[in-house]
Amino acid sequence: MIETRELRREFGGIKALAGVTLTVAEGERRAIIGPNGAGKTTLFNVLTGELEPTAGEVRLAGEDVTGRRPHELARRGVARMYQRNELFDSLPARDNVAIAVAAAAGPYRPFRAPPASEIVAAEELLERVGLGGRGAVPARALSHGERRQLELAVALALRPRVLLLDEPTAGMSPAETGRITELIASLDRSLTLVIVEHDMDVVFRLAQRITVLHEGRVIAEGTPDEVRGDTLVNEVYLGKVVA
Amino acid sequence: MTRIALPILAVGAAALLVTFPIWSSAWESSRYATTILQSMLVVAILALSLDLLVGSAGMPSLGHAAYFGAGAYAAAIAGQRLGSDDLLLGLGAAVLVSAVLALAIGAVAVRAAGIFFLMLTLAFAQMVFAIAFQAADITGGSNGFSGVRRPTFVGLDFNDATALFHLVAVVFLLVLLLVWRIRSSTYGRALVGLRENERRMRALGYDTTRLKLSAFVLAGAIAGVGGALQAYSIRFVSTNDVGVARSVEAFVSVLIGGASTLLGPAIGAAVVVFIERVLDSYIPFADTVLGLVFIVFVLAARQGIVGLVRVAYARVRA
Repeated sequence: MIETRELRREFGGIKALAGVTLTVAEGERRAIIGPNGAGKTTLFNVLTGELEPTAGEVRLAGEDVTGRRPHELARRGVARMYQRNELFDSLPARDNVAIAVAAAAGPYRPFRAPPASEIVAAEELLERVGLGGRGAVPARALSHGERRQLELAVALALRPRVLLLDEPTAGMSPAETGRITELIASLDRSLTLVIVEHDMDVVFRLAQRITVLHEGRVIAEGTPDEVRGDTLVNEVYLGKVVA
Repeated sequence: MTRIALPILAVGAAALLVTFPIWSSAWESSRYATTILQSMLVVAILALSLDLLVGSAGMPSLGHAAYFGAGAYAAAIAGQRLGSDDLLLGLGAAVLVSAVLALAIGAVAVRAAGIFFLMLTLAFAQMVFAIAFQAADITGGSNGFSGVRRPTFVGLDFNDATALFHLVAVVFLLVLLLVWRIRSSTYGRALVGLRENERRMRALGYDTTRLKLSAFVLAGAIAGVGGALQAYSIRFVSTNDVGVARSVEAFVSVLIGGASTLLGPAIGAAVVVFIERVLDSYIPFADTVLGLVFIVFVLAARQGIVGLVRVAYARVRA
């Protein structure tokens, strides 16, 4: 579903991505782990078109989408849950989701009020992420955990084929982490998931395969058990966290 | 209650507005008041169009007079060169010219955001001003364009002052209706999305550059209508109509009245025109008063007059 070939991205001499080759199959649930600065968020920014790669190629369902702009990739089914929420802060939670639901039909409907079906769809999504009854609350008035849930609802509203989750549980309480992890686990199996996450319990709960990034390179890839047993991974990453 | 009461109130207010010269005719200052009110309505059209950018979409244009002035010149010049008094021709020329100008300028300007967008729109408007000033053969240059022909429309002759007021008031109401529909539509909500979080809009699949350009052209075209009415009202177009002072006048109207509210820009325009035109003849330094009012609103009441009224209303109900 998503392939990258020799993806490179430099920021003035600093190699954030130093040749990342990656293949995520359709319906696969892939975690990408690695220490801070490993290039995880840069990789996401390239996959969503927010950053152009210095070199290399990105393919989506076989199509070369390298250098496509973010809205073009979104229209091809790539949705993202940002690490730092990107919400419409002064709008009610319901409208945050409704704008995402309406994206498929486009904005050029200047004389008609948004159809009721959009609002219904938005309310259903809020219900699904555990924000039922909170639709009228402005996004900025929600708690941190609720804002993460809303961020997920907004991404899901696109009905994506690929969902990129950038630290979905960042800053959440253990109870909230458990809830959102189960919610992600329960998503449709045909949806391709790529998850960047530091919490290894979450990673092992969700991922079928794990890719380990270090200094912009893939240093290991495999099933959770294989990655757990990899000495190099333990040294650069897991060792610091687990030991 | 408000479901029925609000439309009745709105229709009543609209009828009172359009018939102002008639029911106020017994008052000795009726003619003067009508002129002032007409001027307020013209500036209100400009401010309403600007608020689509400033309030809804979060695009602070400081060069909106360029499209107002372009509409004024277009209506005046089309009437003169084509020897026609047809209202639709004049308004059509105004909409076309201001929309094309907004398309050309917007294509560049909307790629910038915030203060850079503000500076770009200002710079482009100054270029338009310079062109209006230099192209004296067409625009009259620094002397202005005088003797604008007033239009006619299916038997209505707008050379009559009262008829012209009716025209301005009706067009103002149509613009208000249009802006109301836009603000409550999917499109209007998408503009608010731009203001709130452009990055998220892109990630949702919205082509934000195109969306911003469409808003810029729409706002420019509406401003052009205001410009045409201005030209018809005073039968004169000057470079002031494309100047920075008029852009600021519109911007201040939006902020004083309340950005991103339906009636705010119109109320703000009324306040600004009142201070500039009425207060100015009673007290010295009226412009300074306007400046002070503006400073007070920027510092203490960012939501403008409409915002203050809403807060007060909420307190009364609580």
